[in-house]
Amino acid sequence: MIEVESLAAIRAGNRILDAITLSVAEGTVTTLVGPSGGGKSTLLRCLNGLETFAEGRVTIAGHRLSAGDHAPRALERVRRDVGMVFQGFNLFPHLSAIDNVTLAPRIVRGVPPAEARRRGLELLQRVGLSRFVEARPATLSGGQQQRVAIARSLAMEPRVMLFDEPTSALDPQMSAEVLDVIVELARGGQTMVVVTHDHGFARRAATQVVELVAGRVHRAGPAAEILAGSGH
Amino acid sequence: MTPARSGGRWRCWPAAVVWLLAAVPGAGLAAELDEVLARGELVWAADQEGGGPHVFVDPDDPTRLIGFEVELAALVAGELGVKARFQQGQWDRLPLLLGRAADCVVNGFESTPQRARDWRCSRPYFAYALQLVARRDSALDSLEALAKAGPRGPWRIGVLTGSAAEIEMRRRSDLAIEVVGYDGTVDCLEQVRGRVLDAGLMDDCIASFNADRFGELRGVGRPFAGGTYTILTAPDTPRLSAAIDEALGRLITDGRLKALYDRWDLAGRQQMLLLRDAAEVPPAPRGSLADLIRGALPLLLSSAGMTILLSVASFPVAILIGLSVAVGRLHGPAWLRPFLACYVEILRGTPLMLQLYALFFLLPKAGLALPALVAAILGLALNYSAYESEIYRAGLKAVPVGQFEAALALGMTKWQCLRHVLVPQAVRIVMPPVTSDFIALFKDTSVCSAITVIELTKRYSVLALSTGRIAELAIVTALLYLAMSWPLSLLSRWFERRLEQRCERAPG
Ligand SMILES: Nc1ncnc2c1ncn2[C@@H]1O[C@H](COP(=O)(O)OP(=O)(O)O)[C@@H](O)[C@H]1O
Ligand SMILES: [Mg+2]
Repeated sequence: MIEVESLAAIRAGNRILDAITLSVAEGTVTTLVGPSGGGKSTLLRCLNGLETFAEGRVTIAGHRLSAGDHAPRALERVRRDVGMVFQGFNLFPHLSAIDNVTLAPRIVRGVPPAEARRRGLELLQRVGLSRFVEARPATLSGGQQQRVAIARSLAMEPRVMLFDEPTSALDPQMSAEVLDVIVELARGGQTMVVVTHDHGFARRAATQVVELVAGRVHRAGPAAEILAGSGH
Repeated sequence: MTPARSGGRWRCWPAAVVWLLAAVPGAGLAAELDEVLARGELVWAADQEGGGPHVFVDPDDPTRLIGFEVELAALVAGELGVKARFQQGQWDRLPLLLGRAADCVVNGFESTPQRARDWRCSRPYFAYALQLVARRDSALDSLEALAKAGPRGPWRIGVLTGSAAEIEMRRRSDLAIEVVGYDGTVDCLEQVRGRVLDAGLMDDCIASFNADRFGELRGVGRPFAGGTYTILTAPDTPRLSAAIDEALGRLITDGRLKALYDRWDLAGRQQMLLLRDAAEVPPAPRGSLADLIRGALPLLLSSAGMTILLSVASFPVAILIGLSVAVGRLHGPAWLRPFLACYVEILRGTPLMLQLYALFFLLPKAGLALPALVAAILGLALNYSAYESEIYRAGLKAVPVGQFEAALALGMTKWQCLRHVLVPQAVRIVMPPVTSDFIALFKDTSVCSAITVIELTKRYSVLALSTGRIAELAIVTALLYLAMSWPLSLLSRWFERRLEQRCERAPG
């Protein structure tokens, strides 16, 4: 589902990602771990074309991204098939929960409004927010907002989901709510890459663990091996 | 940026009212004869924009004013034993200068009953009659033709605002005409030449003075509705007025006035005959305040309607253009951005008045004659679009970058991000400054009177000068403005409160 070959990214003269090669099989969960500043976010954002890279190749959900690719049309096609959930939620504050969820299907995929709403209600129910359909983001807790954000991504029916520290801005209880949703998705066979510091999550759901240190793959392998090796 | 600017306009507006109130005739500030003599100067007011042959800029030496009234003022001052000093003012508001910036007005002011009531009028110093001027190829070929509408509907007749020509035309309900008021006769002639107007009505001496410059125009019919010019002084200056009368008397008797008029090709002999027999114009009776309000209120209200029309028609256009320019500057193609930046700087860096003037008086020369109302709305819209674009630019920048990324990550195109995510949020962010700009625009509509659109301020000034009730009408007008802008400022404050509440509730 995802193949990364010899990817390198340069920012402000530094190779902040170098010689990254990894692959993610369909229906599996990969967690990206490693110290802060290691390049996890940058790698994730290279996967859906939010950031560009200088060398290497990415194949994701049947699309190919090459170094220096900027063509907006191609990137839009990739992003339609690749969802992303951010640490800071980034919900659209001027829209209700349901409108956040239905906006992209309607305007990007051209789903009829009634159909989009039906799907949106289903998704909000799946993330446990049936009671907050018409709520504005500002009136929701962080955990609730992140669950809306997940539903918003899922509404595009992405083949791959990318999560960038989805629970780092949340307290433990809200984290648990959000992680339960992600674990549930994983069980449902959703291919995903999750940046996280939460080893508990990795143990529960990860198929593969990749550790990035200073822009390079430090360790990578089946979750059981790596997590056992890390001594946790 | 915006608060300071609209603040500036807020400050201007009460100042204008104070100025109007201070301009009440007989406020006890007028300089009587002794002060003029002690000062050694007679300050006379006129409008050099009014044009020749009265007072105009010497084409050979633009620093010098010439005209028969320049020479007359010098002669009168000489008779009083003092020097003459010129004071510039806008023609229809010149009498307001009396008693503060000027001792007298010498600028083709016709003797009318209203003026005799509100000011001191000297004995006549010049006889005029009204001349209709049209294009040589116009269907308007006689005065009688005015009785029936022309091929384009009622004849559009330009007049100098506040002049006897305007009074005469507005009085004639029997004619199929639409009267358009101008601040300068040359502007009016230009618009006759450009076919915006069917004809202009003006004093015969002005028509003949401009005959060479406007070769495409000709006089239609004989001059009619004659009258005389008078020198105006403040109401409480009987001795100054009497001294001016005596001076004029001497100038008439000893032939110096005739010689002056002959020099200016103004038929001195005929002038003397007419002046000798000119009857004094009796002052009009002063109506009661109740009658005044009853008569003026409908006119003021309909002009307030024009003020509202100008604002609500131009502001949405300004916002649309401003938003497009802002989006173009932030997200448009690189080659477009410098052009948009120039657009903003040019419109912000030049006065609204100049822009209106260009749209109304210069575009017809390029073959595009806009109706005054369209030019006014367009001018306001363009001018304010520059300010709105800056506001929206700031608003768009204030939307967190994560919003753009989240939208992109969902597969939206850049324009979909803008349309559905960035712009709706920017619009909410800029609501307070935009609302306060609307109030500023609302007051700026008064500038449109420069291009013949009669809105509330212009209507006030016309009514005030024709009734002499300057202070009373100023209060009524101010109340009308407040009644219109008060709800707007309430609205703007409401938006601001709402935004604050939103910010408080929003996390982090
Ligand atoms: N646009 C950029 N310009 C300069 N440095 C950058 C840029 N983006 C990321 N970096 C640097 O690259 C490194 C990796 O960042 P990031 O991918 O956010 O790491 P992580 O998510 O693992 O904490 C950091 O040292 C960061 O400062
Ligand atoms: Mg990161």
